[in-house]
Amino acid sequence: MKLSDHTLKEIRELPPKYPHIRSAVMPALDLAQEELGMLTQEAMTQVAQALQVDPGYVEGVATFYSLFHLEPVGKHHLYVCNNLSCQLRGAEELLTHIKQSIGVSEYGQVSADGLFSVEPVECLGACEYAPMLRADHRFHYDLTPATIDALLKEWRGHGDGKKARKEAHPRAGSH
Amino acid sequence: MPAATELRGSHGKAAGPVLTKDFGTADLHKLGVYEKVGGYQAWRKALTTMQPAEVTGEVKASGLRGRGGAGFPTGTKWGFLPPPDGGPRYVVVNADESEPGTAKDRYLMENHPHQLVEGILIACYAIQAHHAWIYIRGEYDLQHDMIAAAIAEARAAGYLGEQPLGKDFPIDIHLYRGHGAYICGEETALLESLEGKRAQPRSRPPFPAVKGAWGRPTLLNNVETLSTLPWIISNGGAAYAKFGTEKSPGTRLFTVSGDVQRPGNYEMELGKPFSHLINDLAGGPFPGHSIKVWWPGGCSAPVLTGEMLETPSDMESLAAVGSMGGSGGVIVADDRRCVVRCAYRLLQFYAHESCGKCTPCRVGGDWAVRTYERVLEGEGTAADLATFDRIQTGLAAGRCLCGLGDSAGWVIQWTMERFRDEYEEHILHHTCSVEAGARA
Repeated sequence: MKLSDHTLKEIRELPPKYPHIRSAVMPALDLAQEELGMLTQEAMTQVAQALQVDPGYVEGVATFYSLFHLEPVGKHHLYVCNNLSCQLRGAEELLTHIKQSIGVSEYGQVSADGLFSVEPVECLGACEYAPMLRADHRFHYDLTPATIDALLKEWRGHGDGKKARKEAHPRAGSH
Repeated sequence: MPAATELRGSHGKAAGPVLTKDFGTADLHKLGVYEKVGGYQAWRKALTTMQPAEVTGEVKASGLRGRGGAGFPTGTKWGFLPPPDGGPRYVVVNADESEPGTAKDRYLMENHPHQLVEGILIACYAIQAHHAWIYIRGEYDLQHDMIAAAIAEARAAGYLGEQPLGKDFPIDIHLYRGHGAYICGEETALLESLEGKRAQPRSRPPFPAVKGAWGRPTLLNNVETLSTLPWIISNGGAAYAKFGTEKSPGTRLFTVSGDVQRPGNYEMELGKPFSHLINDLAGGPFPGHSIKVWWPGGCSAPVLTGEMLETPSDMESLAAVGSMGGSGGVIVADDRRCVVRCAYRLLQFYAHESCGKCTPCRVGGDWAVRTYERVLEGEGTAADLATFDRIQTGLAAGRCLCGLGDSAGWVIQWTMERFRDEYEEHILHHTCSVEAGARA
C-alpha cells in the first residue's frame, strides 16, 4: 500500500513547523497511518523520501512507539486499558468479552469482517472512569459487557463510520 | 459525548481553593467564561507590571514544587537557566501523563485549558522564552483539541502572538503529540521524542536548563505545576505558601482510583492525611471491605498498607514511611486483592515500557515477570524469594539512567517488605488465601 499524492504533499509541508526536520517524522507517520490504517514498508520509505531523511531512521522511530501499527488492524481498533486501576474494575473480563464478541483468539488479530481488533494497553489516564477504552480517537468510560455490546452494535451498524480525528470531538470546535 | 461527561472529583461546591476553584462553572473551557472568573488577569499583571525576575521571585516565595513526580522546587528550577544569549530558549510542557493511576493533568486540560495556557505564558515571560512546546501523550485526543482551541482563542484575543497585550514580547505555543511511550514522561526522554527520535533518556549533565530541546536552554514543567501559576501571580507567593506544610506548601490534585466508591480527581491541601482523601472525598472502600494496600503517588511510589491511611500527604511525611508524593495518583486495592498478583501486573508494565537503553532495566523487568509467572502458577521454590531480591537490588540505587528501573525495583522490594507472608504463601505453599477467600 502506497501513500496518495495528497498525503505526500501534506508531509512535505510539515518541516517548516519545527526547529529541526527530524521532529516532522512522527507527524508524517501519523498522516501516513491515518490514510492507510497502518505503516507499510513502502509508506515508511515514502515518508523518508518526502522528508529527505534516512529510511532506517524512520523505521527506527516507527518501531519504538506503540501507537504506530506495523501490522494490519481492524477498522475500529480498541485500545483497552488494563493497568492496575482498570484491572481492579474488571478490565480482564472485558478483554475476554471483546475477544469473544468479535471472534478473535489473539490480541491484535483482525475480525473476519475486518471491522475490529483489540489490544490491551497501559494506563490511558482516565482512571476515575475505569474500566475504559479508546477507539477512533475517543475515550469510552464505565464499561460493562453490556456497554461493549452496544458500542460494537453501533459500529457494526455503520461499518464505514470511522470518524476522522477532526470529527471525533465536536465540543473542541464549539468555541 | 465528552461534553456530557460527569466530572468526578473537585468541582462546584466541593471545588478546591486553587486549581479547581472554578470547576463546575459551565463552559469554563471557553475564553469568555474564563475571563469572567478572572482569567488572564495574572498574565496581564506579570507582563505589564512585573519584571521577569519578580515573577520567578513570587514562584520561589510560593514554595511550589513540581507536580510531575520528582517534587523539585519550581522557582529553583527556573533559576537554573543561563541568562538569555539572544538565541532560542524553550518552555516545554510535560503533558505526557502516563504514570499508572494518574489522570489529574487530563482533568485539568479538558476542563480548564485556558488556566494552563495562562500558566505557560507566565513561565515563558519569567525565563524569557518566546516559544513553548506542549508535549501531550498521543492518546489524549480530546485534550489536545481543547488546548489547541484555547490557544487559538487566546491568540485571537491578543494574549499571545507577535505583541501580547500590546507588549513587544512575541510568544507562540505549539503542540506536539506523543505516540505511546511511558518513558516520555521522563524529561530527557521527552526531549529526545520532541526532537523526533526514539525516546531514550539522556545522561546528565548537561541538564535541560543548559542544553535541552534542540540543544538550547529549556525549562520543563508539568501541566499541574504550570496551571498553578495564574493563582500564584494573582494572589502572591506568600498566600500560596499559607496552604500546606512548610516544606510542601500548597494544594495538589490527587487522582484516586481502584477500590473506592467515588473515584475522582480531588484537590487537597498538602499535609492533610490520606484518610481524608480516600475515605471522605473518594468515598472509602466498598461496604464489607477494607483497604489493604495503596500506592500514594502513582505505582512508582512504594506501597503503603491499610493501617497507614493516617499518613499526612506532604512529601516529607511520605518520605518518612519509605514512599514519596510522586505523581499524586492514588491507587487503592481492598482485601480481595492478592498483592503478588498486583505486583506482577505492575512489573509487566515496567518491562513493557523499558526503553532498552540500560541493561538492568531491560533485562531485570523481563526476569521479574518470568519469576512472577512461575510463582503465580504454583511452581515457585524457596530460591525465588532470593531471585526477587537479586532483581530488585540490581535495579536500585542509580544503576539505570532514569527512574524507571528504580521504580520497578521498588514495587518488588516494598510489596515483599510489607506483604512478605503473601509472597511466602505463594512461593512455599503454592496457595493464595486471599483469592481463595474472595471466591468463597
